[in-house]
Amino acid sequence: MIEEKELIELLKKKDRAAFKQIVETWQDMVYNTALGILQNAEDAEDVTQETFIQAFESVETFKGSSKFSTWLYRISISKAMDHIRRKKRKKRFAFIQSLYGKNGRAVVDPPDFFHPGVSAENKENAAAVFKAMERLPPNQRTAFVLNKIEGLPYSEIGEIMKMSESAVDALLQRAKANLKRILQHYYSTLLQK
Amino acid sequence: MEDKKIQTKVDEVMQSIDHVQRASPRPFLFTRLEARMLNDRNIWSRLSSFAGRPVIAFSCICLVLLLNAIVILFSGSAWNGTSQQVTELTTADEYSQVSYNIYDFENAKQ
Repeated sequence: MIEEKELIELLKKKDRAAFKQIVETWQDMVYNTALGILQNAEDAEDVTQETFIQAFESVETFKGSSKFSTWLYRISISKAMDHIRRKKRKKRFAFIQSLYGKNGRAVVDPPDFFHPGVSAENKENAAAVFKAMERLPPNQRTAFVLNKIEGLPYSEIGEIMKMSESAVDALLQRAKANLKRILQHYYSTLLQK
Repeated sequence: MEDKKIQTKVDEVMQSIDHVQRASPRPFLFTRLEARMLNDRNIWSRLSSFAGRPVIAFSCICLVLLLNAIVILFSGSAWNGTSQQVTELTTADEYSQVSYNIYDFENAKQ
């Protein structure tokens, strides 16, 4: 097993075996983060591939001041956010097209997302949380995914998001409060029906 | 009473993602990744992705607008001359006594 530093030096020389080892070591981390943010297996795989391609092409810019995994987290989050923006743009365009009767298809919301890592008895409840997460602002959503889905401590989230631990704590408090508010509204309307 | 019930449910739901296991991608991710990278090396796909970059697209629009502005600014004097010539020709046509009727045999011979 080659050490991380040596692996990165080999990747800078575009070594195939080193690249393969890097992908195999960090693929779960990148995929799980992308899946938590995007809530779609195909999109998450797409973003995972884009992340590793970006890492391969711009490894020269990695100075080693942070951990390699932190650098990979940053790339995958930025790629996932780009993906959301692209999807929103497409959705808006499809909506305009449907208004003008170009293909006549209605824009439908995707079905509930079930994370494969959630236990069977928690599936329905977790799907409600993931649905509510879609309505969080990007920063809160990212911090929440890194903390709850990836299980990272505040210090590491702070390093990835380039903010202090107290700022991460405040961000997560706001994210949890917002999620509770969204869920309260959802269940109160459900009870009224 | 109902509020308490909702609050309990929300707390229960929030706890449902407390111990989520890490998800893994489908097997052979590296093989798919290599195939994609090989495909991306295609000159046309590289060119389209390069042209599709916001910076490049915006620069192209700016360049086109700049060229338009240059053409309008530097063709100002030439345009005036042309419009003057057109006015003279139109006036001459309007006051002309010459008939261009094809049935006018005398003029046709000329």
